[in-house]
Amino acid sequence: MNLQFTQEEQEFQKTIRAWMRENIPEEISRISALGEMPEKSQQQQWEKRLGKQGWLAVTWPEQYGGPGWTATQRYLFDLERAMAGAPPVSPFGVAMVGPVIYTFGSAEQKERWLPGIASGETLWCQGYSEPNAGSDLASLKTRAERKRDHYLVNGQKIWTTQAHWADMMFCLVRTDPDAKKQQGISFLLIDMNTPGIEVRPIYTIDGHHHLNEVYFTDVKVPLDNLVGKEGMGWTIAKFLLTHERTTIAGVADSHYALARMKMAIDEAPYYIDKQQARRRVAELEVELMALEYTNFRTVAATDEGRPFGPESSGLKIKGTELQQKMSQAMVEMGGLMSLVWDSSSAVGNESFNHSPRRYNFLRACTIYGGSNEIQKNVLAKMLLGL
Amino acid sequence: MEFNLSDNTTMVADTARRYLKDHYGFDTYMQQLNQLNHCDPSRWELMRELGWFGLPFPESVGGYGGDLIDVAMIVREAGAVLCLDPYVDLVIGPGKLLEYLGTERALKVLQSIVDDDERVACALYDYHAGYNILKPSLSINGSKLSGRKNFVPDGGCANRVLTTAMLGDELTLVLVPLEGCEVTRYRGLDGSRLADVLFDDVVIDEEMILSRGVKVERAVSKTVAWLQALDCARMYGAASALYQRTLDYAKTRKQFGAPIGSFQVIQHYLVDMFTDLQQLESMLFMVSVKADLDDTLEREHACSATKAYYADKGVKIAQQAIQIHGGIGVTEELDIGHYFRLMTYCSLTHGHGDYHLDRIAALGEECDRG
Repeated sequence: MNLQFTQEEQEFQKTIRAWMRENIPEEISRISALGEMPEKSQQQQWEKRLGKQGWLAVTWPEQYGGPGWTATQRYLFDLERAMAGAPPVSPFGVAMVGPVIYTFGSAEQKERWLPGIASGETLWCQGYSEPNAGSDLASLKTRAERKRDHYLVNGQKIWTTQAHWADMMFCLVRTDPDAKKQQGISFLLIDMNTPGIEVRPIYTIDGHHHLNEVYFTDVKVPLDNLVGKEGMGWTIAKFLLTHERTTIAGVADSHYALARMKMAIDEAPYYIDKQQARRRVAELEVELMALEYTNFRTVAATDEGRPFGPESSGLKIKGTELQQKMSQAMVEMGGLMSLVWDSSSAVGNESFNHSPRRYNFLRACTIYGGSNEIQKNVLAKMLLGL
Repeated sequence: MEFNLSDNTTMVADTARRYLKDHYGFDTYMQQLNQLNHCDPSRWELMRELGWFGLPFPESVGGYGGDLIDVAMIVREAGAVLCLDPYVDLVIGPGKLLEYLGTERALKVLQSIVDDDERVACALYDYHAGYNILKPSLSINGSKLSGRKNFVPDGGCANRVLTTAMLGDELTLVLVPLEGCEVTRYRGLDGSRLADVLFDDVVIDEEMILSRGVKVERAVSKTVAWLQALDCARMYGAASALYQRTLDYAKTRKQFGAPIGSFQVIQHYLVDMFTDLQQLESMLFMVSVKADLDDTLEREHACSATKAYYADKGVKIAQQAIQIHGGIGVTEELDIGHYFRLMTYCSLTHGHGDYHLDRIAALGEECDRG
């Protein structure tokens, strides 16, 4: 039992902290302080900056452009990133399709796609959900028909985050309509500039445009864009669900939110007894600590060569519940200040002014990435044997 | 960071599990439940022979120099089988207090706890002082100690009591023979033995005063940190037993022609218990290291966070275990309800959830000022 970071790890943390201070555009850290989200150009500028440093694809093996860090180093990097007010990197390229390509892809696919992800040049989105395939993802219908030199794709995806930013989509499609549900699914890479693709925005309750509907009408996708073999799509999707993700709990960003909350608490004149507000913050701090130490255990286990499997579903559940609780607490503590919709019309402490938008946004976090109920089904089956 | 138990700690835990399996079952617990006298002397001697009495104490007093985590693993196993033997209350509590005082006299008493059958109880709380261990309502005036201590664990089974009292404005630790005091014994919620001790102008000589002032404050705070961590270890043992029993029950109990564990709502309840248990274990590992730190701020923050978390989630697991068991869960006949009482009991000792949340908030302000 040892709860200390090593001397080298502490040095590493200092290096990262100093680098973050020098390299995060002021505009971006200001946006984070308000609880807002960056525009595409801001996000991509930041990711390219990380890519140039070799710090974007941090979980990847060195041979594909990863920095060769331990899980502990990756945790510290993420913590310093969040505390410095930088947004998390978009997960679709780096955390999702990248590992799929270097695990299941051909040599040619690796060479073609990985460098653009690691540099931040190519932006990706995830084509999974459909109007009638949400939690029951395997009932998806988007059809990819194999022709002589291409797949012909027809169908519709929905809830596609950043589809309007993306150059590429990784997509689950049905290649064999006669096979059993899970077995007819394949994993296809689709260029978003291909004719026949239409992206329509869905505005969410935080007032922003993150989500989209994506329509495919006779979209021609080269046969080379199939990852793995036909029918392997479901296996790949499951791989991603349990793929080692030591940042899935959102510990770093919750630390940042807690720090903001503590700074703001005394500027919220909406309590008869401020002790009640402090107790509430303390409660959140305790829950974050429990999550953090559980996360430390997964990080330490990963570094010892025993990465967590389905247990990471537990981290996703706890982490997202906490994010929601914290954002709700922030809104309620803000009292009347939280009534303001636009931060440009801010009254009082500006941390409170944007908190309602973040609160609205975070209602989605227990739904996306496999709803928490689906995560519980997975745990009940895989760990509890029910 | 590294969260593996050392070989030595693993061995201590394994030995404890085996010892308890052989010597302590639910029937043992049920027999002990309504008794107000000291536990079975043969078990007491066995525990001494296993080396538990000297485990966390220095070699100079006959101890083995073990760590808090070693004791925590014993207490965890004891919690898992509802064991009511007063290992923590009559050995670890008074022992750490005496060790932290560190005077020759204190260490001599400690040595007799480790080696002989010296039984010393700790009287830290009284009704008026609440959870404030540094400002007891008892006082020493002239050479007489007067006042009452309440909720003294195993106060009725000890020979002597280590009690805090104010001497002027200094916190003082006094070792008093119990024969000269009025002791009222009663059963605690979890089945353990509590006592009220009335000191009615008990004459105190210099010999009986072990120490006073800052040194006592420090010793009491550090000891209570240990006891808080051990509360959580006991609760973790109970929580993991509850989880396992409830999971087994859900797989075998049939309703509507199917095991109730096949119903999604029950599955989700059990997953909630599992994920909470996982986090409770993380907090137990954390506090088992940090409750022994010399840094007051970090130690108290860790203890309060863990106690507050256990008061919330540990109790929740016990409530959920009853709910999933249904009617049988609220009977005296099944162990589930007994674990529930243990959990409630430990959530109230050495500070309840709200108390610890307030302390975290206060420590936070101290940090900001610092």
